[in-house]
Amino acid sequence: MTEAVQAALGAHLEELFGAGTRVVRAALLGGGASMEAWAVDAETPRGPLSLLLRRAAGGRIYRDALSLAQEFRVLQAAWEVGVLVPRPYYHFPDVAGREAFLMERLPGEAVGRRIVQKPELSEARAALPSQMAEQLARIHAIDPTRLEFLPGSREEAPLQRSLDALEAQLDAASEPHPAIELGLLRLRRDLPRDGRRSVCHGDFRIGNLLVGAAGLTGVLDWEFAHVGDPREDLAWPLVRAWRFGKEQLRLGGIAQPGAFLDRYAELTGSRISLEELGIFELLGNVRWAVGALTQARRHLSGEERSVELAVLGRLAAEVEHEVLALLGKGGA
Amino acid sequence: MPDRPTAAELAQAVREFLEAEAVPAAIDPRLRFRLLVAANALSILERDLDLGDELLREEIALLRPLAGAPPPGTPREQALGLSAELSRRIRRGDVPRGALQALRRIAELKLRVASPRYLERG
Repeated sequence: MTEAVQAALGAHLEELFGAGTRVVRAALLGGGASMEAWAVDAETPRGPLSLLLRRAAGGRIYRDALSLAQEFRVLQAAWEVGVLVPRPYYHFPDVAGREAFLMERLPGEAVGRRIVQKPELSEARAALPSQMAEQLARIHAIDPTRLEFLPGSREEAPLQRSLDALEAQLDAASEPHPAIELGLLRLRRDLPRDGRRSVCHGDFRIGNLLVGAAGLTGVLDWEFAHVGDPREDLAWPLVRAWRFGKEQLRLGGIAQPGAFLDRYAELTGSRISLEELGIFELLGNVRWAVGALTQARRHLSGEERSVELAVLGRLAAEVEHEVLALLGKGGA
Repeated sequence: MPDRPTAAELAQAVREFLEAEAVPAAIDPRLRFRLLVAANALSILERDLDLGDELLREEIALLRPLAGAPPPGTPREQALGLSAELSRRIRRGDVPRGALQALRRIAELKLRVASPRYLERG
């Protein structure tokens, strides 16, 4: 398969980067049943290029994720307004039989546990809260009318609709979880109805951010982009599951959230308190609890057999515990 | 069957093999990660075999005051039935008194099997 991908890409890359361009290496980095990631090194007339190819894997795509063509358009929109993303190059309807898109391959660390622990990333951790706020401010300023295919674009009340969707997903997991129901009930009562509408990244957290010695180098994984309330994106990196063992540091295991929210307020004029974010942190936890159960179902149903997905069905108990802890703080 | 190793001891033997021999030999980081996940899955299995029945009984006792009499069946079926009934009640906005406390206790029981260190990390 490597040869087929390498050959198919070779022809495409000559068109993109000029005659004489050739693929030096194409290596499958990993991926699940729905998506592959290929590291591609190319020689071009203007010098060597490090590229990354995201390619469909043939399996069923997550129901709520964007298509590759859509994800590519979001990446382009983000690149054009100066969000730190890998430079998007081209969307191919067909690379050796499957859809794919090509982007720059950026250096950096993406593994959450290493980002919160590595001694050589301590300066990066100090810089990250402001840098994360800067990126979110830019993302939330993207004109949503350019991306009308995004989920939520045509919704009157995208937050309320997302609760309906979570309820439907929980029902589809066909296993009772009263703790999650209690979280959903609180969200039905307390989630604001007048939410502002912005382009949201949808999965903005440690683990989906590339980090180098000086901090953030790239915002990755745009397949859950949607139109929603910007506070969803601000609360998501606070969710306990993304603290990677550093539970006391509420912003992704790297810092307290103060500097992050201050910088966001400076840049956008929108000052959001931790208290105001509380209900969105609950939303994030309910979303991840349902997400973990849904992923375990991919294994149990045979859609994608994987020990990683299987274990998530049990680890969902951690998220339920956090949902209940947040409900306890807010008064029963 | 009373023969040893017991089911839990067998799971432990496989987990120890993965941790002591397979993980250190794995060069590919993705494979290494999956081996660690597999070892963790076995540790969950060990604890479930040791504690599962007792925790299920405790869960049923906690759910009864919130969701009525359990349906007939195995302890697992009873716990599932009670949990489903409580879920239905909460979904329609009828939250029994004491539900939050009982569910927190149940989440702790689940974590004793699924992730005991999570509770220690606080």
